[in-house]
Amino acid sequence: MSNGLLEIKAISGHRGGTPGSGVSRDYDVCKLVDTTTCIGCKACEVACLEWNGYSFAETTFDNTYQTMPDTAWNFWNLIRFNEVEHEGQVQWLMRKDQCMHCEEPGCLIACPADGAIVQYSNGIVDFNQANCIGCQYCVTGCPFNIPKFNNVTKKVYKCTLCSDRVGAGLEPACIKSCPTGCLHFGSKEDMVALANKRAKQVRDNTSHKNAGVYDPAGVGGTHVIYVLHDKDNPEQYGGLPKDPSVPFFVKMWKGPLKWLGGIAMGLGIAAVFGHYVRYGPKPADHGEGK
Amino acid sequence: MSSNIVVRHGTDLREDEIVRYTLKERMCHWISGVSYLYLLLTGLALFTPYLYWIAYVLGGGPTIRFWHPWVGLIFFVSVLWMQSMWGNDMKTTKEDLEWRKTVKAYVTNRDDQVAPAGHFNSGQKQFYWIMFWGGIILFLTGIVMWFPELVPRSAHWVLPIVVFLHCVGALATIGAFIIHLYMGIFFVSGGLHGILWGRVPVSWAQTHHRLWYDKMLKEDRQSVRGTGAD
Amino acid sequence: MTNGWVDIKNTDMMLIMGGNPAENHPCGFKWVVEAKRNRNAGLVVVDPRYQRTASQADIFCQIRAGTDVAFLGGLINYAIQNNRFAKEYVTNYTNAAFIVKKGFKLPEDGLFSGYDPAAMKYDVSSWNYEEGGNVTGTAAAAIAAGDGPATAETSAKAAPPPPPAKVVAVAGKPAAAPPPPGLPPNTAYDLSLEHPRCVFQLMKKQYSRYTPEMVAKITGIPADQFNKAADKLTSIRKDGDTKKVGTIIYSVGWTQHSNGSQMIRTAAVYQLLMGNVGRAGGGVNALRGHSNIQGATDMAGIFDNLPGYLKVPIPADADFAAYLKRITPTSAKPKEWDSFNYWSNTPRFAVSLLKAMYGDAATKQNDWAFNYLPRIGDKRFSWADQWDAMYKGDVKGLIAFGMNGVAIGPNSKKNIDALKKAQWLVVCEIYPEETAEFWQSPSITKEDQAKINTEVYRLPGAGFAEKDGTFVNSARWLQWKWAALPTPGDARLDQAILSSIFLKVRELYQKEGGKFPDPILNLSWAYTNPASPSLTEVAKEINGKALADLKDEKLPPPNEWKAGQQLPGFAWLRDDGSTSCGNWLYCGSWPDAGSNTQRRNPDDPSGLGIHPTWGWSWPMNRRVMYNRASCNLEGKPWDPTRKQVWWNEAQQKWVGNDVPDFKPDSKPKDHMGPFIMTPEGVARLFVPLAGLADGPFPEHYEPIESPVANPLHPGQSSSPVVKKFKTPLDKYATAKDGFNIVCTTYRLTEHYHYWTKNNRMNVELQPEPFVEMPVELAEEMGLKGGEKVKVSSIRSTYYCKAMVTRRIKPMMIDGKKTYQVGIPIHWGYAGLADGRPEAERTPANLLSPTVVDPNAFTPEFKGFLVKIEKA
Repeated sequence: MSNGLLEIKAISGHRGGTPGSGVSRDYDVCKLVDTTTCIGCKACEVACLEWNGYSFAETTFDNTYQTMPDTAWNFWNLIRFNEVEHEGQVQWLMRKDQCMHCEEPGCLIACPADGAIVQYSNGIVDFNQANCIGCQYCVTGCPFNIPKFNNVTKKVYKCTLCSDRVGAGLEPACIKSCPTGCLHFGSKEDMVALANKRAKQVRDNTSHKNAGVYDPAGVGGTHVIYVLHDKDNPEQYGGLPKDPSVPFFVKMWKGPLKWLGGIAMGLGIAAVFGHYVRYGPKPADHGEGK
Repeated sequence: MSSNIVVRHGTDLREDEIVRYTLKERMCHWISGVSYLYLLLTGLALFTPYLYWIAYVLGGGPTIRFWHPWVGLIFFVSVLWMQSMWGNDMKTTKEDLEWRKTVKAYVTNRDDQVAPAGHFNSGQKQFYWIMFWGGIILFLTGIVMWFPELVPRSAHWVLPIVVFLHCVGALATIGAFIIHLYMGIFFVSGGLHGILWGRVPVSWAQTHHRLWYDKMLKEDRQSVRGTGAD
Repeated sequence: MTNGWVDIKNTDMMLIMGGNPAENHPCGFKWVVEAKRNRNAGLVVVDPRYQRTASQADIFCQIRAGTDVAFLGGLINYAIQNNRFAKEYVTNYTNAAFIVKKGFKLPEDGLFSGYDPAAMKYDVSSWNYEEGGNVTGTAAAAIAAGDGPATAETSAKAAPPPPPAKVVAVAGKPAAAPPPPGLPPNTAYDLSLEHPRCVFQLMKKQYSRYTPEMVAKITGIPADQFNKAADKLTSIRKDGDTKKVGTIIYSVGWTQHSNGSQMIRTAAVYQLLMGNVGRAGGGVNALRGHSNIQGATDMAGIFDNLPGYLKVPIPADADFAAYLKRITPTSAKPKEWDSFNYWSNTPRFAVSLLKAMYGDAATKQNDWAFNYLPRIGDKRFSWADQWDAMYKGDVKGLIAFGMNGVAIGPNSKKNIDALKKAQWLVVCEIYPEETAEFWQSPSITKEDQAKINTEVYRLPGAGFAEKDGTFVNSARWLQWKWAALPTPGDARLDQAILSSIFLKVRELYQKEGGKFPDPILNLSWAYTNPASPSLTEVAKEINGKALADLKDEKLPPPNEWKAGQQLPGFAWLRDDGSTSCGNWLYCGSWPDAGSNTQRRNPDDPSGLGIHPTWGWSWPMNRRVMYNRASCNLEGKPWDPTRKQVWWNEAQQKWVGNDVPDFKPDSKPKDHMGPFIMTPEGVARLFVPLAGLADGPFPEHYEPIESPVANPLHPGQSSSPVVKKFKTPLDKYATAKDGFNIVCTTYRLTEHYHYWTKNNRMNVELQPEPFVEMPVELAEEMGLKGGEKVKVSSIRSTYYCKAMVTRRIKPMMIDGKKTYQVGIPIHWGYAGLADGRPEAERTPANLLSPTVVDPNAFTPEFKGFLVKIEKA
């Protein structure tokens, strides 16, 4: 969505200056995945592949309905199927796994390559493979295990939240394909409200008294949020981290270590220069040999 | 014209000169040094956006991402080679303890007050061990960072730690390296000459590495020419 | 569907059973989710496996395959015992109050009255109402007199029914059959529903045996779990509530059983008891497994049907008048009530159909060419029967058109062997498939192949995107679709292929004559391009047109049509040859103003999901059938927030958001029954006479292959009227033979039948054949998920990998621990699977038995016995 388009230039029937001119009405986009209404039909998987132009890969049977064990560089959208127990009965959880588009993106924080990862003001975190150097620091930084490396192109890929579609005013491909309306797309504010409403409905009307919204604060909130049957057990949905954050050591590395290291190096150079000015070079010998 | 040059250990010796580093040692050092320099520059490019321009200078991000681990491998092999040659020399001796007591005099160029040193003085040895252990850490962490795609999801927690240790290791070697570079090029006159061509004046040896000089006289007489030797 | 897909959003309670719409109808399933999300509708799922639909359920019950009548019967019992049913609705809109004849016996011992063990069929004369009008208030006297339904003892004492009169054919003419027993014109009824022989009391008695404990014994659903589900489902009628509505959604998980029709019947009985039929958010809703299977059924998809569900003539129909007399019902109802009896219009539909088929060759003088129609006697021509006949050498050739007979089974091995015996086989398809390749199915060796003399022709068919025409969906909507692509290469449209065959046959008859060339030579083929008729012309022909100028002052304007004009609805059809119509139900789909099937206006003024100007729904664009029943006796909607139709006192007619499915001017006080297609005018809890071959009330019978004897009546375990086939390949197992695991078959959302194994995308999503089995069974076998297994029935063996899951649990059936497994059907030996080892190329239907439901003749794919070994 081009935010510039929502900048007020003129308004009708108004005397004098234009109020609000120059102010752009920004809003964050957000995808809502309501796992309580996901039927695991995989339409989003196919839509993702087709929109992004990826061909189909060989898979093998793995004792599950899940298409493959994990997302892949050319398979960004995977429904994870998990059998768990709920009140003595089996429950089959299905969760659409994809990039969460964190407000505080670990991948972007960790990435050393200029311009390889972009965070748009609407919240989309996008990879620009032209600038990617394939170091996979993003893999290190991501608490959701999303970026995937292509060993041939030596680049890393992930869900773009269909930034190309969203930029043209369309919804992401997965949203368009969802038959049950388990996927929604809109502003973060609206989606959070919708998610909370649905979670409350689930709590009030089903046996899932702990239903809630997954919008983890540890990464500053995400632009993909979930409604979960049990908000305290996100791990049971195929390893959704309970309290994800950018890893401590990534923060240390990209924070204090980077600055302290830089300062230390600068000081080191300054120190030896100072030493040189003060003492100069050490004589080659005492002169006693000659 | 009959040359006044004697060749010992791949090193041209003139009068009053002594073989400080054999050709093998020099090659090892420079392989190590040049590879380290490359690693340093490319590593710094990836360390901070302020130095990412180095990546462009050195062929672009993907290029340095490709070569950094390979050069790292070369560096690591050279470190092992160096260890096989100098490992024994680098052990701390009781003379080193004496030398350390006079390190202030060494740093402030009161060289007459400095305790005599062996082939390497204690400072050099400390540098060596920083580079050696740093090299090991950088190698071990570097291997993981080379192929993070092979790390299973369940072990991903290790990646940030690995990257962090790689950085810490690198920073430690960089600190040592700054001093090494300063001392080798600017501070200790004649030091650079020695590591480049292998020979140093006998007087230089007597001044800076007295114990080694004495030992050479006893054990490798052929590698010492001139004053006090013939 | 009595209702429609969109209408599901109006419901308060859903029972999804015998179907897995989240898996097989994911797009339609959105309406289930809508109901959950917008109305907090409850959802109970009953299935042999916890599947995708179950993942959305409030309550899931794992049922043993084939025992659905027991669950639903238990539900009926629960509703009656707890007084949670729609009393006014049941009394007035069903035959609950009707008195059944003396001598009718309930199947306590597994048999209704009138069973003839030698013929394996029933004499249905005792399955009838009593004559006599209002007997309300006589119940006490009747009970005192011991007047109840017959019991096993009394019926055994009763004289056996007289043998049916022999029909003697004289001089090549079929003798007139004895008149079939009819319904009494003035049925006896008791509005208090207390008479011991009234339908309600019989029903109550019938299902009182289906206690939660009995349900548990049969189905494997623990009694407390059943009670929980029953409590939830019947909660819509708690405390006399008549506003709430519940729906039942099912699919071939019911149809494909030897007791399948009765499973659907039980659901209908339950829905009628709850007063849910005819109402928005209610109904009995069959989900169709193909995009146009509803259309195929409407257009004579079953061997004893003509288009529009008219009956195929039988040899005993001496002439057209006799035929019409036999198939046109006369109303049978309490004298005080009214019945529209819409099937009384049968002659109009039949004559118009014959005019559409034979055009000018159908005249009053020649009985509208009635004698051109084929007649069927006692011989069945259902799917399984035809393969059986081919196996026996009676059928010499087969045209398989868009139909993979070997793979869709049942008993694929028998089908393969049947094809070996055929002289020729024509397959029209778009992919390589198992039927055309039967001669290289896995078990056939090179030597075997040399002995096969069947000549196989493959015709290049067109894919769905290359064809136009209509699809009729589960909701009875006719929707036109436009071709997206031209046919590639030599491929041809269906109508081009069929026309070229027909034109050639006609040419041969013209040249060579034959025994009876008239039906072929006189078949109306008046298309602009006879070699490939446009489907627009065909659709218009099916809709029907005036053959003479028509005028009817009684019908609302425009009420005048010139000869040649398309007709606006079946009310215009005539039995004097002045109209033609290929299927009366579709009359109105393509009126003179243009095609209604092409309408795409999504407006929904009522908000009830009626969308009256989107496509067209038969009959007459009604979206909910029997919608008169959505109102009480006074003609006011049961729920004012879901107003479908209502009686407008000022206009003196029925009006509404939907098209009233009723006589528009029938005043509520006339008490016309809302179920206008039955002669009674009311819905049938009890189906009199020959409505169903296996009983007027549904009774639980075990599948033909069952791990236990029927706990209700072990002596009569499976249906007494289901006949087994008798060829050497028709073997049926018992648990004693070592086949003690219950197996069911189904589809996956990732695949579509046997096509998509040719499509890499689908194959990526579900790459390999598997069997879903309980963890406990796998542990017993020392088996891990992903390992190869061999699933065998007594007929053949299926190879696949094991999917070990907690979604199927072991069950206690009649005190016996029983395992259940499931196999998706999508794999076989043709297509992308080519080149794979034999052990990965077996069609699932190698396992299923050839045995069919006695009413619809659908094979029992969904409940048979297997054993599993490591492969």
